[in-house]
Amino acid sequence: MSAPNGFEPKIVAYVCNWCTYLGADLAGTARLEYPANVRIIRLPCTGRIDTNLVVKALEIGADAVLVSGCHPGDCHYSAGNYHARRRWMLFRDLLEVVGFDTRRLHFSWISAAEGRKFQQVISEITEQTRALGPYRPYESPALPPAEEGVAKPPAVEEGNFEESQRELRAAARRLLEEGKVKVVVGYGARGPVFVTKLDDTGRLEWNASCLANLTVYLRRPEVRALGAAAVVVKGCDERALVMLEKESQVRREELQVIGLACAGLGAPKCEVCDSHRPRFADITIGGAAAALGGSTAAPARYAELERFLEKPREQRLAYWTAEFDRCLKCYACRQVCPMCYCDRCLAEKNRPQAIDASPHRKGNFAWHLARAIHLAGRCVGCDECTRACPAGIDLRLLNLALARAAETHFGYRAGMDPAAEPVVGAYSFQDQEDFIR
Amino acid sequence: MSQRVSKEELRQRAAAWLEAGKMVAGPVRVKAGTVLYAPLPKAESLLLEGWVRPANSIKEFVFPRHEVLYSYRVDAAGITLQEPEPAPREQVIVGAHPCDAAALPLLDKLFNWDYPDDFYNRRRAATAVVTLACAAHDEECFCTSVGLGPAAERGSDVMLSDAGDGAYEVRCLTEKGAALWGAGVAPAPAEGGMGAAGPEPRFNPAEVAAFVREHFEDPFWRERALPCLGCGACAYTCPACHCFDIVDEGNARGGVRARNWDACQFPLFTAHASGHNPRPAQGARQRQRIYHKFLMFPGKFGEVLCTGCGNCARNCPAGLGVLPVVSEICHAESV
Repeated sequence: MSAPNGFEPKIVAYVCNWCTYLGADLAGTARLEYPANVRIIRLPCTGRIDTNLVVKALEIGADAVLVSGCHPGDCHYSAGNYHARRRWMLFRDLLEVVGFDTRRLHFSWISAAEGRKFQQVISEITEQTRALGPYRPYESPALPPAEEGVAKPPAVEEGNFEESQRELRAAARRLLEEGKVKVVVGYGARGPVFVTKLDDTGRLEWNASCLANLTVYLRRPEVRALGAAAVVVKGCDERALVMLEKESQVRREELQVIGLACAGLGAPKCEVCDSHRPRFADITIGGAAAALGGSTAAPARYAELERFLEKPREQRLAYWTAEFDRCLKCYACRQVCPMCYCDRCLAEKNRPQAIDASPHRKGNFAWHLARAIHLAGRCVGCDECTRACPAGIDLRLLNLALARAAETHFGYRAGMDPAAEPVVGAYSFQDQEDFIR
Repeated sequence: MSQRVSKEELRQRAAAWLEAGKMVAGPVRVKAGTVLYAPLPKAESLLLEGWVRPANSIKEFVFPRHEVLYSYRVDAAGITLQEPEPAPREQVIVGAHPCDAAALPLLDKLFNWDYPDDFYNRRRAATAVVTLACAAHDEECFCTSVGLGPAAERGSDVMLSDAGDGAYEVRCLTEKGAALWGAGVAPAPAEGGMGAAGPEPRFNPAEVAAFVREHFEDPFWRERALPCLGCGACAYTCPACHCFDIVDEGNARGGVRARNWDACQFPLFTAHASGHNPRPAQGARQRQRIYHKFLMFPGKFGEVLCTGCGNCARNCPAGLGVLPVVSEICHAESV
């Protein structure tokens, strides 16, 4: 049956081998008719379905995507579908912020016995997609330049930088003198410095320009080659250290951590910061915790995101289209990120080419969605990606979307509690289900 | 007999070029805190003051970050190869900086050295550059160290310089510029010329060349490269960096071959399929960037591959860039 305009939707269904695929098979052997618009791609388990596959299907002409697997409790591999469910929750929240029409993305549990359900789901999805019309990704207009006034200069409270800087240099000196470390990774006049000599401890600085998250250097082979390290962290940076240790990327016991209490450096993240004081540092320098302000409640943390979400969906998409159109794919966002530590990034793999290497609209959307979702429940909100971007792309908003998803769905904030179970890699029987057919 | 143009008249000219169907690009405030060279949606978007330098460069209009070289289609009729768009649109870049314009003659040499690159040459021929002499500079600027200055005319077709009363003095430097502006080509400029005072010279390129020649293997590179995180922000915002990669995108039914920018600071830039990497560490990659700009390119083309714009340093998330590294080489005061 064809629509009046002749549009026949193409639907890609990623299904698991053990339940939904057999459900589809049963629909066939039982002679249950369903629209021929669906292309089934069989995978071992929904837990194996990368969100990038969804993006890929839509990139190459699908009008809608269905991801379907075994009912909770039925997974052939025990828990693949529980893991998948969590990822879908996070991914849906990300797509919402980007302004993607989530009516084109469907999830279902269909067992091997549910041939009829398969028939129903496919029929429903086909009809819905037919009504929505063809999906034309990357053709929506980009928002024109905002041409807003100049950025407001950061308001930095005159803290006692000087006194802390003196203490910092003395602490670094002590560590080097005692032979506890061979190198101190800290802030210098222009950027990071790597102090290996006692005479150079005077190069260490602490001021309002010390925004970088130095924990990114701990995994770099050139820095590791220098020997045992001490690293200077602010409260916000330290959250990355917690995550890196959790993910077995640094050995905390081999590391000396010099924590700097920080009243804020004027960045957007500082306005809603509740990590003013490092909690796990070996040496903590600077102001009393009380003087640095207490916790900021969750609503304030995501206020910026909530304001953005008030815009209609089409405007959100137009906003990100303009943002991503400026992306040069210099990968500064990835390189400055302490949590982006893969030896070879997905963006650099080409067998198969998961993400188009080109900095065109399609390739940029795929890259930024992959970057964000790979940091879901892992991003500590240090905003280094946003600071590093030469094109001024506000990646902070995407990170906030996933941070909010992790906090609202799972009560989890990356890098806050070293003992907490991670969001991705764990699951709960109570995870939200209402979006799954 | 110099000509003058007010800011308003300049915008009117930009509007007329847009009207005539040209692509007109210039500095645009794309959002609070970010000024980039970008196609002007309307003449009013042209930003003429309130910034030192856009965070990118004009090279993108002659050497796009992504350019389709050809496309293919496979169907019942066989394989069809298709040329990309027939001819690029006429384009005018308004408000370019002298350090942007000066990179174009460098790119001209590179793209016509062993093989005339049609893709580049066609865009270059369709491009006219209206340069705005610099009225201000910041601590990252060092054009005067590489033989240029705030009113340097290399690569420009028309030069505008602040006449001091909200208007610009106009000098058409090439036939292309004269045709665009509808005026005669101005006589050769008086030595010294107009424009604000540039930054103090910070180093001597010959000293840099000597250092890299004699210190290829030197701990300096390893130590200096420690902060480098290996992104491409420096190369991609540099007016003169021009490395590219060729990629195939598509499937069995159709697709494109395209060229995309590439950057020497990426570990993958020199990685061999065997796994061997001749530049295995960041120190070797940082050395390469300085080596190419100050020794290799001058050796081949007689000029330094750097116009002193300072974009590398402004955009580096780790405080590196040509000036910070080179200053140390020349034992000048660290900036």
